[in-house]
Amino acid sequence: MTDTASSSGGIRPDALVRPADPASDLEKAALKGRPKVSLLGLGMLSPAAVLLLVFFFAPVVLTTIFSFTNMTSATGISGGAYVLSPNLLRELERSGVDSDTLAALGTESVVVDQESIAAARAAGVEEDFLEEIEDDLLGVDFDSKQDFERALKDLPSHLRRTRDLKLAADHFLVSALNTRFATRAEASDAISALAPDIAPGTRDRILDASYTGWVWTTENFRRLATQPETLRLVLNTFFYVAVTLAFNVLVGLFLAITVFYLPKGTGMVFSVLWLLPRITPVVLYAIMWKWFTWDGGFVASFADLVGLPSFNYMKGSVPTAWTIVILVNGCIGASFGMILFSGALRSIPMQQLWASEVDGASRWQQVRYIILPQMRWPILFVTCYQSMSLLSSYEQIWLTTNGGPGNTTMVWALESFRTALSNYTGNLQYGQGAAMALVLVIVGLVLSIIFLRMFRFGELVEKPKIEF
Amino acid sequence: MTTMKRKITVAMAAALLSATAVAAQAEDYTITVWSGGTGDTSHYRVDAIEMAADLLEREAAVRGEELNITVEKQVWSGWDDFKQAVTLAAESGTAPNIIVTGHEDIGPWAQAGILRPVEDYVDFDVWPLNQLYDNLVEVSSYDGQIWGIPQDAESRPFFMSRAHLAEIGYSEDEIDALPSQIEAGEYTLYDMLEDAEAMQDAGVVEAGMAFAPRVSNGPDYWQFYQSFGGEMVDPESGQLIFDRQALTDMYQFFVDAAEMGVVPATYLGGDWDEWHRNVAAGSYGMWHGGTWHKSQWENQFELTDFFDKIAFSLIPAGNENGRANTITHPLVYLISATGTDDEAAIAAELITIASEPRINSLHAVESGHLAIGEAQASVPLYANDRWSTEATEALLPHANAIPNNADFGAYWDAMYQGLEAAWTGTSSVEDAVNMAQAQVEADLGDGIIIR
Repeated sequence: MTDTASSSGGIRPDALVRPADPASDLEKAALKGRPKVSLLGLGMLSPAAVLLLVFFFAPVVLTTIFSFTNMTSATGISGGAYVLSPNLLRELERSGVDSDTLAALGTESVVVDQESIAAARAAGVEEDFLEEIEDDLLGVDFDSKQDFERALKDLPSHLRRTRDLKLAADHFLVSALNTRFATRAEASDAISALAPDIAPGTRDRILDASYTGWVWTTENFRRLATQPETLRLVLNTFFYVAVTLAFNVLVGLFLAITVFYLPKGTGMVFSVLWLLPRITPVVLYAIMWKWFTWDGGFVASFADLVGLPSFNYMKGSVPTAWTIVILVNGCIGASFGMILFSGALRSIPMQQLWASEVDGASRWQQVRYIILPQMRWPILFVTCYQSMSLLSSYEQIWLTTNGGPGNTTMVWALESFRTALSNYTGNLQYGQGAAMALVLVIVGLVLSIIFLRMFRFGELVEKPKIEF
Repeated sequence: MTTMKRKITVAMAAALLSATAVAAQAEDYTITVWSGGTGDTSHYRVDAIEMAADLLEREAAVRGEELNITVEKQVWSGWDDFKQAVTLAAESGTAPNIIVTGHEDIGPWAQAGILRPVEDYVDFDVWPLNQLYDNLVEVSSYDGQIWGIPQDAESRPFFMSRAHLAEIGYSEDEIDALPSQIEAGEYTLYDMLEDAEAMQDAGVVEAGMAFAPRVSNGPDYWQFYQSFGGEMVDPESGQLIFDRQALTDMYQFFVDAAEMGVVPATYLGGDWDEWHRNVAAGSYGMWHGGTWHKSQWENQFELTDFFDKIAFSLIPAGNENGRANTITHPLVYLISATGTDDEAAIAAELITIASEPRINSLHAVESGHLAIGEAQASVPLYANDRWSTEATEALLPHANAIPNNADFGAYWDAMYQGLEAAWTGTSSVEDAVNMAQAQVEADLGDGIIIR
C-alpha cells in the first residue's frame, strides 16, 4: 500500500480530476484486444435497446418527418382527400383559372332519367318509391338538391327515414362539389367528366389545389428563421435555463454542504424537506405555488403586512413572474443537485477534513480548498444534466404562468407544445411544432456532445483507477 | 319420429326463429358525446342528448321497434385540452359520434375529414330544425354545406357597475341611457376609459381595477377590432381581412388603458375565478364578458340583484371608423366521421331532438345563453326569464360571428400574440402589428387580404 492510498482510503485523490495517467501494461493489453461479444450481454442489453428505439429514436424520426410537412389540424395527419368546394373554385378564379372551366366544375344538377333510376334500383332503393319517381318526376328540372328532396317527400311511398331519403336522392345528383375523392385519379376522372376540354396543366393545378392533406415543405424552418418571435423565445429560453441552472447548482451545493456539516439527524430532516418539491406530483406542486403566490395568497398577504405591494406575484409583473418560474423549477432542480452533491461529499475522505482541522482550517477554507476541488465532476454533471433537462422542460411553466403575463415567460419548449398540441383556438400546427421540437433535439444533441467532451466521458468508461 | 315429437320440434324451431326475429329487430347503439367549455351550469349540452335518446327510444317503441341507445358523455371545462382530444382521437379513429364545440372548428375539421355534413342526415324543413334562426344555421355552415346544428347562442356584452357610475356623478337616468348612447356611437371606448380613470381617482375602485377585460384569449377581443372598424372577412370573396389600422387602434387602446393605470399591463393570463369574484364583489368599474357569466356570478359567486347593480350594453365603438358591436359565438352539435353510417344517422336524430325548444330552453336559461330558434320565445321557462329576453332583444340583433374559415385559427393566434406583446409593452404597437402581419402572411399567404 502506498502513502497516497493510506491517506485516501484506496482512491487516488487526483484520479477524479486529472487526465488518465499512462495506463499500466496490463490495461494497455486489455484495451488492444478486441472486446468479446457475449450473447448474454446482448440479451441483457436488448430491452434497453428496444426502449431506446421506441421511446427515443421513433419519436425523433417522426418529429423529423413531421417537421418537413405543413401538417395542421386542418390537413390532418393520416392523409387527405381531393375536394372541389365552392371556396376552392372562388380561390382558383382569383388565381386566374378559366371561369368557364370552373363553372363546369361547379355545376350541380338533378337528372331524373332512366339511367339514374336504374342506378338507384341497383343500389337497392325501394321499387314502389322508384316507380313513383318514374311516374311523377321523370324529366323534371330542379333548381337545387333541396327542391328535389322536397319533391321526393311529396311522393306517397317516400322513404320515411331522412338519411335513406337523402341517400336515394344522391343517385340523381350530378355534381362533384364537396365530394371527397380518396385518390387523385378519381378526382381527375370527375373533373374530366365535367369539363372534358380542360387542359392537362389546368387540371393538375386544380387537383393540386383541391388536396386537403399535408405536403412536404421546408417552410417551417424558414419561418422560424425569419419571424421576430424566434429571437424573443431564444432569449427567454436562454435566460430561463441559465438562471434556473445557476440556482439549481448553487442552492444544491449549498444545501449539500450545509447538510454535510449538520448533525446527522438534523441533516436528514433538512434533506427530506428539500426533497419534497421533487417527490410531490407536479400538478399538486404547481397548485401549491399558485396558492402561495396568488392574490390573497401567503406572499401577497405577507407583502401587504410589511407594506410592500400586494398583488398576484405569479402573474402580476414580469420580474415576479420570472422569479416564480425560476423558483418553481429551481427548487426541484436544487433537490436533485443536493442528492448528487451529498453523495459526492460522502466520498471525500474524512481524513482530509480532520487533517485540515488539525492545521486550523476554517469551514470556509475546508469548502474552498478541499470540498469544491473534489466536487468538480459532480458539479459538471449536474450542470450538464440540468441544462438539458431545463431546455426541454415546460410543464411547470405551463401549469403556473403558462408563459404569461402576456407571453413574457414563454420558452421554446412550451411554445413548441402549444403550437403543435394545445392552444385555445384549436389551430394545432403539427408540422410547425415538430420543427420547433426538432430544433430543440438538435440543440440538445450538440450540447450533449459538447458536454461529453467537457465531461471526458471516455475516461469515465475506462478501467477504474482504484488501487487494491 | 313420432307425431308428438315432430310437433314439439316444430314448435321449438318456431319459438327459436321468432326469438331470433325479435332479436334481429332490436337495435343497440352506443353514442358518445364530447363537449368543450362545459361547466356546472351548462351540463344540458350533453344531458340533452340523453333526453333525446330516451325520446327516440320511445318513438321507436311506438312504431313497434326496439331501439336501445346508450349515451356516453364526457365534458371538458376548457377548450385547449378538448380540441386536442378531439383532433387526436379523430386521427386514431376513436372520435366521439357527437362533438359539441365552437362553430369556428367546422372549417379546419371539415377540411381534415373529421366531420360528416349534418345536412346529409337531417331535414331542415321539418320540426324542430325549421324554427332555428337562419343566421345561426348560416354560422353552422361552411363552404356550401351545413355541418352542424346550433347548440346555443350568446352574446358578449359590456358591463358597467351602476354604483360606481353613480359615485362619479352619473344619475340613474344617465346610467339607463348609456346603452342607447353606446349603440349610437355617442359613448366610445375612450369615454369609458375616462370614466374608469375617474372611478380610480375618486377612490371608488382600487388602482388597476377600473377596467377588467377578459383575462384570457377568446372571441371577445375581435369585438374591439370591430369597434375600431376592423372586418374579419370579406363578404364578397370570403377571404380573411387583416386591417392594419383597426388592429393598430385596437392594440393602442389597450396600451392606453394600461398607461392610464385602469388595467395592469400584465393583466392577460389572470385567473378566471378571481375575475368572477371581483365582478360579484363589485370591485370592478367596467368590464366585458358573456351573457352566460350572469348565471355563474349568481350561482357560483353569490351575486344578487344583478339588474340593480349592473348595466349592460354592446361593446362601445372605439372611434369614428368602428361601431358598437357584440360577437355571438354559438356552439354547435357536429357529427364525426367516426363510426358507421347508421350510428351517424342515430346521432343526427339525437341532436335534432336535442334542439327541441323545450329541451334547449333548459340549457339556455340555466346557463344564461340565448335561444337558438324562434319557438323558444313561446316556451314559458325562456319567455319568463328576464335576462334571456332582455339580452336577446338588446344584443342579438347587433351580433355577428367570427368567420368559419379553416385559416382563421392562424389569424386569431397572430392577433392575440400581437395584443399580448403590445399590452405588456414587450413590443411597441407598430412592431406588434408588423409581427402579426408577418405571421399571417407567412401562414396564409394570399389567403388573407392585408389593408
